Amino acid sequence: MLHISQRARRSFYFLSSILYLLLPTIAQAAKISEIGETSFTEQALRFFTFQDPAVRYALAGSMLLGISCGLLGSFIIVRRMALVGDALSHAVLPGVALGFLWNVSKDPVAIFVGATIAGLLGTVVVRWITDTTRLKEDTALGLVLATFFAVGICLIGMIQRLPTGNKAGIDKILFGQAAYLGAADVRLMAIVTAFVIVVLALFYKEFLITSFDSGFARAAGVPAQAIHYALMLLLAFAVVIALQAVGVVLVSAMLITPAAAAYLLTDRLHRMLWLAALFGLVAGALGCFASFLGPNFPTGPFMVLSATAVFGMAFLFGPRHGVVSRWLRQRSRAQRIQRENTLKAIYQVLEARDFKGESVSLRELAERRRETVEEAAMQSADLRRHGLATIHDEGNAVAVTPEGWQLACAIVRNHRLWELYLTNAAQIAADHVHEDAEKIEHVLGDEVVRELERRLAYATHDPHGRPIPSLADMQRGATAPERSREFIGYGKPT
Amino acid sequence: MNPMPVPEFKVVEPPASREPTPAPVAPVEPNPPLEIHDLTVAYHKKPVLWGIDLAVPRGRLVGIVGPNGAGKSTLIKAAMGLLPVSSGWVKVFGEPVSNNLTRVGYVPQRESVDWDFPVSVLDVVLMGRYGRLGLMRRPGRADIDKARGCLDKVKMLPFANRQISNLSGGQQQRVFLARALAQESDLYFMDEPFAGVDAATESAIITLLHELKAQGKTLMVVHHDLPTARNYFDTLLLLNMRVVAFGPTEEVFTFDLLQKTYGGRLTILSEVAEAVRQRG
Amino acid sequence: MNLLPPFDFHHVFVEPWTTEFASYGWVALMGFFVAAACGLVGNYLILRRMALVGDAISHSVLPGLAIAFLLANSRGTGPMFLGALAAGMVTTVLIEIIHKKSRVKQDAAIGITFSSLFAIGVILISKYASKVDLDQECVLYGEIVNISMDKPFAQIGSLVLGPPALVRMGVVAVLVAILIAIFYKELLVSSFDPALAFSLGINATVVHYSLMSALSIVVVSAFESVGAILVIAMLILPGATASLLSQRLPVVLGLSVLHAALSSVLGLHLALFLDCPVSGAMVVMAGALFVLAWLFSPNQGLLRRWLGARGELAEPVSEAS
Repeated sequence: MLHISQRARRSFYFLSSILYLLLPTIAQAAKISEIGETSFTEQALRFFTFQDPAVRYALAGSMLLGISCGLLGSFIIVRRMALVGDALSHAVLPGVALGFLWNVSKDPVAIFVGATIAGLLGTVVVRWITDTTRLKEDTALGLVLATFFAVGICLIGMIQRLPTGNKAGIDKILFGQAAYLGAADVRLMAIVTAFVIVVLALFYKEFLITSFDSGFARAAGVPAQAIHYALMLLLAFAVVIALQAVGVVLVSAMLITPAAAAYLLTDRLHRMLWLAALFGLVAGALGCFASFLGPNFPTGPFMVLSATAVFGMAFLFGPRHGVVSRWLRQRSRAQRIQRENTLKAIYQVLEARDFKGESVSLRELAERRRETVEEAAMQSADLRRHGLATIHDEGNAVAVTPEGWQLACAIVRNHRLWELYLTNAAQIAADHVHEDAEKIEHVLGDEVVRELERRLAYATHDPHGRPIPSLADMQRGATAPERSREFIGYGKPT
Repeated sequence: MNPMPVPEFKVVEPPASREPTPAPVAPVEPNPPLEIHDLTVAYHKKPVLWGIDLAVPRGRLVGIVGPNGAGKSTLIKAAMGLLPVSSGWVKVFGEPVSNNLTRVGYVPQRESVDWDFPVSVLDVVLMGRYGRLGLMRRPGRADIDKARGCLDKVKMLPFANRQISNLSGGQQQRVFLARALAQESDLYFMDEPFAGVDAATESAIITLLHELKAQGKTLMVVHHDLPTARNYFDTLLLLNMRVVAFGPTEEVFTFDLLQKTYGGRLTILSEVAEAVRQRG
Repeated sequence: MNLLPPFDFHHVFVEPWTTEFASYGWVALMGFFVAAACGLVGNYLILRRMALVGDAISHSVLPGLAIAFLLANSRGTGPMFLGALAAGMVTTVLIEIIHKKSRVKQDAAIGITFSSLFAIGVILISKYASKVDLDQECVLYGEIVNISMDKPFAQIGSLVLGPPALVRMGVVAVLVAILIAIFYKELLVSSFDPALAFSLGINATVVHYSLMSALSIVVVSAFESVGAILVIAMLILPGATASLLSQRLPVVLGLSVLHAALSSVLGLHLALFLDCPVSGAMVVMAGALFVLAWLFSPNQGLLRRWLGARGELAEPVSEAS
């Protein structure tokens, strides 16, 4: 059942992303002209169909950075490098400031180069500190993070005092403002994202093996060190292109959160990469949209919150690992076991009176199960809901349906077979086997049961002398007279 | 190679009751699978391995035993070039190890890996083939078939598509072994493959190791449990920062040598070793 | 393009201690208290390898602050501390839930938690900026220069103490020092050897949560003047620098305080020279002091490494003889 929901979820994602990409072309054909709509849905529609040129760049850029952050973030998650991502994203700030100074205008290439150099310098310094002193990696990362960031803050402060002004955008670098993205920025983002995709595709297996088991990788001749530096470089690229829209402080969240959501939804790295890219794209787009709703809202926080929302959904409702899903599965398992125990009790009551009479009174059932009559009534009602029993005699008696009978026989058979096995093969005393069998009876699969039957030479009675129901008994149904006459157990022809 | 600076050390007088080193195992062949000369490995100026000299003949199933911190894992990691060495060298089949990595297979400790990693059992075994593929080449049909074959050999083929976190300790160990088999190497290093596995896996592993040995492979296995070491391996390396002894199990597994390896900590096992000695 | 202003010796070095002392004196003192308090607590974060947690708490107090100010409609100490403690608790609980109930590992859980909380905080203050009276940049790097304008000054009886924020920070710093002195043993043992601590009857969980609470209080007190990012710097830099110079914890703690004093004074001068945010300058100087220690450390320094002492290995004494 849950498999279907996972597939449905995946197809939903797939279809909606296709739709998303098709919308611009559809919308271009039907050019809606001017502003003036006020309702939320109209705004949303206009936004997401790429109408407004300013919006176009912001949205495209946000989606691109979401993709590259998601892809690289996946490796951060599986390599447990979250702090490294955080440090890198703060360490680039002085590089951004210096790159800005290079041309005193917002030259994306200069900023890109400056930021990348600063980021890589930070990584090198961290490595140097941990190699030469007794300081541990987390201390070194925090230290570099904060110091480089402070240098960046000072530089930005000095830049802002410059008479030449035109510090357009430098103050937005802290929390991001996607609205300031221009054509040149988006071009650069597209190139970098494409580059990241190509490198990851070409060297996928190297990234995979070095992330999983770097010792083995090196012993096998895979250049783990080079791959590590390549990853750092790509990471620096992704951080830098995300800076303008997400801001220095929150870039690391865009790296971690969409990838963490993907991590919870799949058991294969390549699928995780796809999902992370998708979630990054969605978070970027939603964040960009949300920030457009208000004057001067920074984009970064909204992107992060969108990503967190996606993570929250995956955390709670992810089909395999989600908290809610696991709880539901446990509950349904517990309920199934309850039903089976009730059926077994009904069987035992019937057996005790040699299968005379079809129905079992609630009182007898309650006695057998050592509970109250009300509880017995509830369980009988549950059985009826599942088509395993019917209620008679104004609610005081319960009788099993054919399906119920089959299931009851199966449970009793499992229990008794297992007891027999334990006493014979494992040589455990007959009075010690009951507890074990109580638990095992619900989980024995068909194959194991057949194997047991074979090993026990199709025995007909359990250690306590009670007959073990056979297939024939199960199929016959719960009609009393035939049962009491021809209750044969295994090994004899019907 | 840098000439080693002359270290300052205090001259250690050899103890008077020093036993003669055991006779060499066999005439030393020209290109033994593993040859180590004067290997010293230090971690933050503290020596972990000191002056290791070793020549392992082909086709041996070698157990490496010693107390905790004796440098057993360090030895095999240094032999594969995974750790920097302060002095000495390692040769595999006559060549520096970095030239001959395809002939070396490795089974690391289970704890070295995060078992929540999103890969399947088959994916892990396929990684054993990566050393032979170049950069950017994908594993082909033949590689996948080989990987499945190796999984079958360790009786893990039904689990091929399962994610690795749903495995027991013994099953995880078998997956690592299958990966090493997929490497199709001639010299294998294994780090405590028997640690924490169930009895069935243990016997499966030992059967596999004997099969490999019958095929002429050489195996260096770090082992944690002294009593079983006597039964599993035909050759033993007693290690405690230095080589205490190296040779056929019957010759090396003696009370005195074990005492030397484990220092005073042999008391628990002294009865075992004593009984062994008496049995001849 | 002239980034550096002309160097006016008088302005940079003399004025703060003479004519402008009324404004800048407080600044230096505030910087010192912040760095000292953060540095002392930060030493234990370093020992316990919890630098990332320090990073996290210093970000996640923001929404606590914003919500507390909005609800209480004031910026007093009470709401501030309450907001910080609540935020600290929420952070810790969320982190636990995420990494205990799913396969997401601790480092990612910390990152997800603090960044979302911080994002919420930023959105709150950008929407309700006027009411909360914090702006986005201030949150990141504070505006310590404004401290002298924080009137009226606090006073006990007729003794004028100084700006309230400064007094608060001073009290926190002194309290931290006192608490560390009192619980020195407990902190030491539980940081190095949790098993031993348990056998001595020290409840490591209590120590951990107390440390987190102290951290939250220190962080939030420092927030206004130095902002989030620079709090992290002050948590780590003094302790890291000191531990390069000594191995003994009491000496390290003392050196941390010295480092705090030096970096705040030097930082003030640097900020006056470059005309940039004071908190940033203080961290830059703190970093410069770290580099100096890294170069000249007697045991771990780079100069030592480069110039000689290649470190010969001593033959280990044979155990089994």
